[in-house]
Amino acid sequence: MNKVNSAIEKILKSPVTDHVVLSYSKSETQHIRFSNNSVNRENLFKLEEEVKAEVGVDGRTGSCRTNDLSEDGLKRAVAKAHETAKLLPKDPEYMPPVTEAEAKTFKDYKPEFGALTDEKLYGILGEAFGEIKKAGLNSAGSLSANPYTLEVYNNRGARVKHSNCFSTFYLTAMTGNSSFKDFHVTKDFSDYNGKAFLADVIARTRLSENPAPQEPGKYTVVLGPAAVEELLMMFLWYNFDAKAIDEGRSALSKRAGASIAGENVHIYSKPDHGRVGLFPFCPDNAMPYREFDMIKDGKLASPWYSRFYGAKKGAAVTGLPPANIIFKGTNKPLEQLISGVENGLYVNSFWYIRLVDMMDGIFTGMTRDGVFRIKDGKLAQSVNNFRFNQSVFDLLQNITEIGREKEMVFTSIPPITVNDFNFVSKTEF
Amino acid sequence: MDNLSEIVNYMQKKGARFADAREHLFREREIFTEDTRVEQIVEQDIDGTGVKVLYGNGWGYACTCAKDMDSLRAAADKALDLAKHADKCTDFKVELAAEPKHIAKFATKIKENPFDVKISEPVDALIEAGAIIRKVKDIIKANSNLVLRNMRKKYANTEGSRIETDIYTVLAEIDATARANGEVKSRHYLPSPMNAGYEYFRGTDLATNAARIAEQAREHCFAKSCESGPTTLILDPEHLSLTMHESVGHPSELDRVLGYEESCAGRSFATMDKLNNFKYGSELVNLVADNTLEGGLASIGYDDEGVECQKWHIVKDGILSGYGVCRELAHKMKMPRANGTTRATKYSDVPITRMPNLYLAPGKTPLTKEQLIADTESGIYIEGRGSFSIDQMRLNMQFGGDAFWEIKNGKITGMLKNVVYNAISYEFWRSCDAICGESEFRRAGFITCGKGDPMQAAQMTHGASPARFRNIMVRRAK
Repeated sequence: MNKVNSAIEKILKSPVTDHVVLSYSKSETQHIRFSNNSVNRENLFKLEEEVKAEVGVDGRTGSCRTNDLSEDGLKRAVAKAHETAKLLPKDPEYMPPVTEAEAKTFKDYKPEFGALTDEKLYGILGEAFGEIKKAGLNSAGSLSANPYTLEVYNNRGARVKHSNCFSTFYLTAMTGNSSFKDFHVTKDFSDYNGKAFLADVIARTRLSENPAPQEPGKYTVVLGPAAVEELLMMFLWYNFDAKAIDEGRSALSKRAGASIAGENVHIYSKPDHGRVGLFPFCPDNAMPYREFDMIKDGKLASPWYSRFYGAKKGAAVTGLPPANIIFKGTNKPLEQLISGVENGLYVNSFWYIRLVDMMDGIFTGMTRDGVFRIKDGKLAQSVNNFRFNQSVFDLLQNITEIGREKEMVFTSIPPITVNDFNFVSKTEF
Repeated sequence: MDNLSEIVNYMQKKGARFADAREHLFREREIFTEDTRVEQIVEQDIDGTGVKVLYGNGWGYACTCAKDMDSLRAAADKALDLAKHADKCTDFKVELAAEPKHIAKFATKIKENPFDVKISEPVDALIEAGAIIRKVKDIIKANSNLVLRNMRKKYANTEGSRIETDIYTVLAEIDATARANGEVKSRHYLPSPMNAGYEYFRGTDLATNAARIAEQAREHCFAKSCESGPTTLILDPEHLSLTMHESVGHPSELDRVLGYEESCAGRSFATMDKLNNFKYGSELVNLVADNTLEGGLASIGYDDEGVECQKWHIVKDGILSGYGVCRELAHKMKMPRANGTTRATKYSDVPITRMPNLYLAPGKTPLTKEQLIADTESGIYIEGRGSFSIDQMRLNMQFGGDAFWEIKNGKITGMLKNVVYNAISYEFWRSCDAICGESEFRRAGFITCGKGDPMQAAQMTHGASPARFRNIMVRRAK
């Protein structure tokens, strides 16, 4: 037991009230950013340790975050949270700390990951810069390794801990007038095949050169996993809070029992997935996340429930947001989806997605880093970027093909083929 | 400060070309309310020290929240190690622009320390606003947010600068959501966030504005849809704060122009070859960067690479005239000095070029908003911020707004809904044919501007008088 654990246990031995929760987090981030085929100023290591103290008093809750992890520092944070709680009005949505029995039900998994040394990380970059330069291209991106630990303690006996790591390599390669982006998400890069990854990025970047003018309009599109993730996450975030649905503030409010997607769409959460998601329990309160379906058989299966709202409605708590988001894929590789389109577009990723109309689920955004014309089942030519204004409900109804999932930090998402995707304007590039 | 001096001297002895150390306290109290309950309170008291080192042509940065010298030395050693690795993986030739040595202190002028005020006081004010909003017919939700922030920094570098700053920031906002006539519409009140003390919050008059926004949210539900097509827009200062932020502020960050942000925030169409010759806007358009603006959110005295805050033009008489420039990139523009707009949000963040306070200078004649509307035969008047999106080169932009009114024959005839407009950024600014006078000038800022990788949220003030834009393509959102 280290000093912080001991101090926390000491505080919880004689808690200031019957509601004290202490969450301890530690992360060691090594982050190397690069541009113009060179490591730039955002080349950093940060060790961050914090404790969040939460204290409840008579139906009121105060909290305080500190990185003074001495026993006195933690006591001060607890005292501050206590003082805050006492000054607040009673909260009709107050929830006591989770019990030891509740906390114990989380489905743990023990991810294994190897060492992430400077030599390994800069070596990956050195190889990438070498290949990219050899190909006559430019590059930008980041390489990041993020081991972390989270521990949540409370005065009702809950003690939960999870250690994990996610690492990412984002690479944008550029010609003089175009770009293509890809990424590799991993624990420790032991599964990273630099040669294959770089060869694919270089080939697609070359294909992206000299984008041809293409008019906006409705197209059959193949959306890459990153594009699907960006749009889907915004849609879920705005619309899946169960309380907002019941209060009429969600696009799902007026769609109770209605079909909201094609029957081929299955979106769910699985806390013990192992490779996708950050924690198997809620970092604020130790409430275990649970496995559940969000969209199944074309309908809303379950929205997201907070502890309070789940208790009020008699529904299982999912977390707000849940542990992770998984869009069930198939065995079809991206190339197979592309080969199934006679005349359409492939969109690698989106950028700057924003809500346009809440109740109809309409979002706007731009394509970015790879838009290609598909002709006779093949990527034929890169084209200019587009702005879209698109209802996500229409998109979910118009999915004709679903491909193989790609795992990201928080999600696992497949590429999809969609009919009638609505591009409204184009860019000069 | 002695610890920091020791650390930068230690780095110099170990062969660093340049080093700085920044002790950075970030203290924040954030209150969220939902209707008449406190939804969440986030209190933060986070401090630590970051050390930045230049070795050869490589940069390294490491930080620690520990205070003892051993931990500071370990962080400095780590930063130096990283810089040595970077030096082997870079084609950059780093030249730092000269900056005078500063031994200085700077503090926000405040009358009342926000953290000395009992938390129940602002909570009561926010809950009162929520109660007023909820009394209005068809209102289904009231939300509010108050941010009280203090950033205290000590800075030392190998050139002898020793700087202390103490900055206070206040932001308050309320929001009303109505459901009626098959629609759900929200309306927002955001008095400009300021670098100020708690006294600023006392003057924000949430209660009066709560009633107004609730009524307008409801009215919005019954508004008629706009027509699609080119039209004239009159935009209020809060709305313009967002358009200038996205279409002028970001594209004029020189690090973006030079590709440093390619992988995340993107690049810029406003390339250096366009400096002093590119028609960014009409001749009426003067966009001024000013980190000396009193109470401005980016007015911090000295930035996080020890450069004194300054004032300059981004666009002068319609022509692109300047950029936000850090010490590393100033030589690319043959500038003798950076302009003091490099900032980090917390101790664990690397300082990067951030948008300065940026405002659209008022028109030279004393034109009022009412006179401008009276002078407009047909168009749309837009207040506040709504949906916003722009491409990575900062050209194709689409904006909504918070509230829209139809203008017919020089008069406001009623509210509109479903308004979004689409433009190419420089064409938008070129279409500006009138800007109201100084008496109409209002500030409107941001405290959550995202940039960097890892992402950092920065703060800056904007400002404008209402202005008119011709022939802008408006679409019905649905």
